[in-house]
Amino acid sequence: MSATPIPSSLNAAAASTDSVKVNQFSRKRLRELGMALLFSAPAMIIFALFTYVPFFRAIWLSLHVTNPAGEPARFNGVDYYIRLLGLDGRTEWLEYIGLSFQFALMVVPLGILFSLALAMLATTKVKLIEVFRTIFTSSIAISLASAGVIWALIFSPATGATTWLVDLLNLNSISLLNDERTALPAVAVMSVWAGLGFNFIITLAGVQAIPQDLYESAAIDGANRWQTFRRITIPLLSPTLLFLTIVNTIGSLQAFTQFHVLIPQNSPNVFVYETFLSFWYDNRYGFASAASIVLFVILFVLTVVQYRVVNRGVHYQ
Amino acid sequence: MTTAPTYSKISYRTVMYVLLILMSIILLFPLFFALSLALQGDTAAPTLIPRDLNNLDWGVFRAVFEQRPEVSRWILNSFVVATSVTVGVLVTSSLMAFALAYLDFPGKAVLLFVALGTLMVPFEATLIPNYLFISSLQWKDTYQGLIVPFLASAFGVFLLRQYFMTLPKDLYEAALVDGCTKLRYLWSILVPLSRPALATLAVYTFLGTWNQFYWPLLITNSTEWRTTQVGITIFRNFEYAVFNTQMAATIIVMLPTLILLVLGQRQLVSGLTSGALKG
Repeated sequence: MSATPIPSSLNAAAASTDSVKVNQFSRKRLRELGMALLFSAPAMIIFALFTYVPFFRAIWLSLHVTNPAGEPARFNGVDYYIRLLGLDGRTEWLEYIGLSFQFALMVVPLGILFSLALAMLATTKVKLIEVFRTIFTSSIAISLASAGVIWALIFSPATGATTWLVDLLNLNSISLLNDERTALPAVAVMSVWAGLGFNFIITLAGVQAIPQDLYESAAIDGANRWQTFRRITIPLLSPTLLFLTIVNTIGSLQAFTQFHVLIPQNSPNVFVYETFLSFWYDNRYGFASAASIVLFVILFVLTVVQYRVVNRGVHYQ
Repeated sequence: MTTAPTYSKISYRTVMYVLLILMSIILLFPLFFALSLALQGDTAAPTLIPRDLNNLDWGVFRAVFEQRPEVSRWILNSFVVATSVTVGVLVTSSLMAFALAYLDFPGKAVLLFVALGTLMVPFEATLIPNYLFISSLQWKDTYQGLIVPFLASAFGVFLLRQYFMTLPKDLYEAALVDGCTKLRYLWSILVPLSRPALATLAVYTFLGTWNQFYWPLLITNSTEWRTTQVGITIFRNFEYAVFNTQMAATIIVMLPTLILLVLGQRQLVSGLTSGALKG
């Protein structure tokens, strides 16, 4: 999972820059403005060319029927959005969005529970704990593509590693990935594994940031391990856990690689993957752009919630 | 609570070790599995644990390069791309972070906002126009197509700006009085002083770029221009029966990032937690 850490102290930083009132446009400041623009130009040109311009172009394309070269051919209004949201009565795209959320609902709680357990284990004071921590972190260095290729074989009937599970569940398919009921959970298990390294690092840092004297006074008061965990660790970790919930939800909704590698081509897939199919194989650039803008809106809402959550966490400290 | 403290301490420790080892085995299982399959030779029916542990086929790692020479090209491609992007991000981020941290000019907040605003736009929302743009430049199947879009990072700008601001400003003013130019100050004083932050950004960027999948999948078409990540998945398609070379290739491709993790774990951890927790 490639979640980008989101800076949280933006507001505080921006507010502190100009505390002393100076002449806004003195010659010195204007000269430094020119210099600042020069220094910022390389990064800003990349941001403009590959983020801002394409973003607005995607909105523009989403309002048009496009030709196979990706140029707007005919104005289409919001028809594609109506289609995506199922307002014309055909709801298959709503189902793809639903699948994406189902996937997130499987991956996120499981991933956080696992990383919480790992973080608690990793704070025990025993020898070699550093080695265990590195092992728990290791999945962060493993790409989704490599993980996907390995898990494809774990799920493959040829290696037989999960045949017992297929038998146990009484499936009529040759593998978990070929059955509609188990395909999504199977990809979810692989994704939880792939995301553990990141979740573990963040959770462990959160646990380590809890002041040690709280635990000491709890021990003096005769609290047992479970009470300490329930009454101290969980409440003080809640900003971290909320942050992880949102970042993981965003990441799960964006998941592409594992679906590309694991899910057979013809079965219904998650929103991001269906979007890929619609422009890659069907050259429907306008329609796929509309889909990507819908995804943007969903993720934007989640990101705004995240900023709120993280800032509240900071205020709390 | 009622047992003797020494006894309970020992048993607690034992339980913890058992749990730690158990979790490690579960987490490492896919890697053991990959290694096990790689070492079993060219069989259509591999087993979880190799049948004959005395006769493991370690030569498979060499055989991959002989049977599929394109693998070395993919590794080269990934190295060129990940290294160029890392160097590029370090340069563009340092320059912009310097301006934001040291220069005094109107509109600074706007500049910062424009940089950080890119974090609000998901990769998918710009993917199609970017793909069309790169295609129109005839940059498919080229290094520049894989590198240029990623040469700047808002995360990098922010991380370095925060770090630069922790360094004493007196140093900057003293250097200017002594006739040091701004660029010179950035290069010969700020960069050496900021090595921890730069290392964090470098490890983080290299790892992220090396592991990219979606963009190289779209931008590369011929076998020789694929990157490692896309390469190992197409490997799977036309050689689904040969498990050993496929897993060996996957392990080879994972090695650079696993080594980077072991060597640069501290940098990586501080990078991941810097924005996430305390800002």
